[in-house]
Amino acid sequence: MSGGFADRARQAIGNRQLHIALDRTTAQLGLRRATGLASLDRADAVRDRARAAKMRVLQTLADSLRQFEARLVDGGAHVHWAETGADANRIIVDIAAKAGVRRVAKSKSMASEETHLNGAFERAGIAVVETDLGEYIVQLAGDRPSHIIMPIVHMTRQQVGRVMEQRLAVPYSDDTQTLARYARARLRDEFLEADMGLTGANFGVVENGTICLVTNEGNGRMVTTLPRVHVVLMGIEKLVPTMGDLDRFVKLLTRSATGQKLTAYTTLLRGPRRSGDACGPEEMHVVLLDNGRSQILAGETAEILGCIRCGACLNACPVYRTVGGHAYGDVYPGPVGAIVTPGIRGLEQFAELPSASSLCGACREVCPVRLDIPRMLLALRQQAVERTPQPAALRVGLKLFARVASRPRIYRLAAAIARRMLRIRARHGWIRRAPGMASAWTRYRDLKAPAAETFESIWRRRAGAARKP
Amino acid sequence: MSDARAAILGRVERAVRTGRIPNATTRHDTGASADGGVEERPTDDRVGGDPESERGDATRVALQERFVLEARALGVETYVEPTVTAVCDRLRTLVAGLRVLTWNPELLPYDCGSIVEGALVGSSPRGEQARAEVGVTACHGAIAETGSLALLSGPGCSRTVSLLPPVHVAVVRPDDLFETMGHFFAARAAALAQSSSCTFVTGPSRTADIELSLTIGVHGPGRVAIVFGP
Repeated sequence: MSGGFADRARQAIGNRQLHIALDRTTAQLGLRRATGLASLDRADAVRDRARAAKMRVLQTLADSLRQFEARLVDGGAHVHWAETGADANRIIVDIAAKAGVRRVAKSKSMASEETHLNGAFERAGIAVVETDLGEYIVQLAGDRPSHIIMPIVHMTRQQVGRVMEQRLAVPYSDDTQTLARYARARLRDEFLEADMGLTGANFGVVENGTICLVTNEGNGRMVTTLPRVHVVLMGIEKLVPTMGDLDRFVKLLTRSATGQKLTAYTTLLRGPRRSGDACGPEEMHVVLLDNGRSQILAGETAEILGCIRCGACLNACPVYRTVGGHAYGDVYPGPVGAIVTPGIRGLEQFAELPSASSLCGACREVCPVRLDIPRMLLALRQQAVERTPQPAALRVGLKLFARVASRPRIYRLAAAIARRMLRIRARHGWIRRAPGMASAWTRYRDLKAPAAETFESIWRRRAGAARKP
Repeated sequence: MSDARAAILGRVERAVRTGRIPNATTRHDTGASADGGVEERPTDDRVGGDPESERGDATRVALQERFVLEARALGVETYVEPTVTAVCDRLRTLVAGLRVLTWNPELLPYDCGSIVEGALVGSSPRGEQARAEVGVTACHGAIAETGSLALLSGPGCSRTVSLLPPVHVAVVRPDDLFETMGHFFAARAAALAQSSSCTFVTGPSRTADIELSLTIGVHGPGRVAIVFGP
């Protein structure tokens, strides 16, 4: 990933394959979400209660984490704390080394993408395989996921078929059933031979230390059932207070993500296998990851830690739907990524992301926990401007504009001049090239010529006419 | 390690003093909500409610009808059998000629255990379990709202049975029915606490990762059959 958001977005806009793939999926997912939520009794109240529960957890996060940790230990799990992604990777590689692990099977985990865990395993000489179908294809292709729940939303079935043909030496197919069968056959042995299963967590329940995984394929069950060690890597914000809350959150997550009332498998884990169990891991470790989250919690965007990673805001966002996930430059794309990424990686490096939004508010509308994403984007824009020196022309220009705009007579005069000049440049009602700084606007589109008369003057003329007897 | 713990908890404690965390109550949160003035059903919430309604408000028959409707919509085969003999006949037909992996036979209801006597169980060698062609279980709960089976792991109830074979057959008693997952959590809190895992199985294994095109039977069973007894 080189260049900034604007460069990557420009490339994405020119990519026809990407547009076919994005069009096929985002609109469809949006529709499924709407249908899914419609099937939820009193959905608005459920969303409100979920939001309240999340905000309550954030307000009491330290105590919630302490209680969660205590309950995990009661259940026989080991708890580790990681300040950074590199710390988390080191902790997990250490666990693997101590247990003599040679092969790791992973279920989909955004947190492990965030810490680049696969690279750490490979450097330690430990084989690691992604087992979620989408992530497996990403790994085979040496690509990166571009959606929180649909990692290969940017690929067409033909592209997937070619990746499998090349990397697995199987006959080319663009039939999804066949492609899934290839993956099943290949990954079955990985599940049976892996020494360690690695997962994220969709939710952690404070009251009893339950880890909840929401999956569809069955790989999440495989990697938490068959290998002798199970490691959970989860952000410190993924907690919900009670099992009653969990019920609500699962309902919202699955409906918002894929429109399902429940995914094929909802797995609740409470520690390693117990006496009498014939399966399940002998050791279970939970790694609690900070990596910038406590810093986000201290600021204007603390609310974003209530995100349950359903991806609904991606599917609803006109910017995401046009440029796809890779343009955002890191693992969390879309509106949520535009807030989370600057938070965990630093605003300096990702100052453009909060501006990659039209602030239309579609994200806030679909968010199951009603996060005020536009407000947070604006707060980050303000911080970005305050922290970086702005070009002199912009500073002087804005000051000038402020003076003009706050003086009605001068403003009207300036507007009249601008209007006249633009109308002179217009051909058939459109301006193809605007002068000066305004040329940025017309680089990719035409500008509609202003009307001959302003709304204000029409209003005054008609109001005047109406008053006459 | 404990240094990291102290550092993170310290930062979190300081953070909540400055962070902008919106107040928890919002517009639909009170009884007077915008969507018709009714609050979310209180039974969704709570642990250890009134035993009369612990399974939910609906009658058992209504719960079973709902369950069957939801499960069928997901592609689950459902059979409602009137007698113990019919249940056994159904199970015999479903597993006929197939290599069976099962929960310990004595844990299956309606004397179904005798049908799978001598089959592979959770303690059989892993490699043999992986070659089984059908997995047979009972269940610890059947959730009507979503057509889900709740399966706890424990002695004789291996998670592999409902996971490794391409076909999963579950024998369910009407007594296992609950309206929602929340009702199940409340009524079975003790059993949940004793078990290292609980899986809700809702239809066959599926993926839509490639162009959102639904594909059944990726890693888990591609076929799920549920037999209700009397």
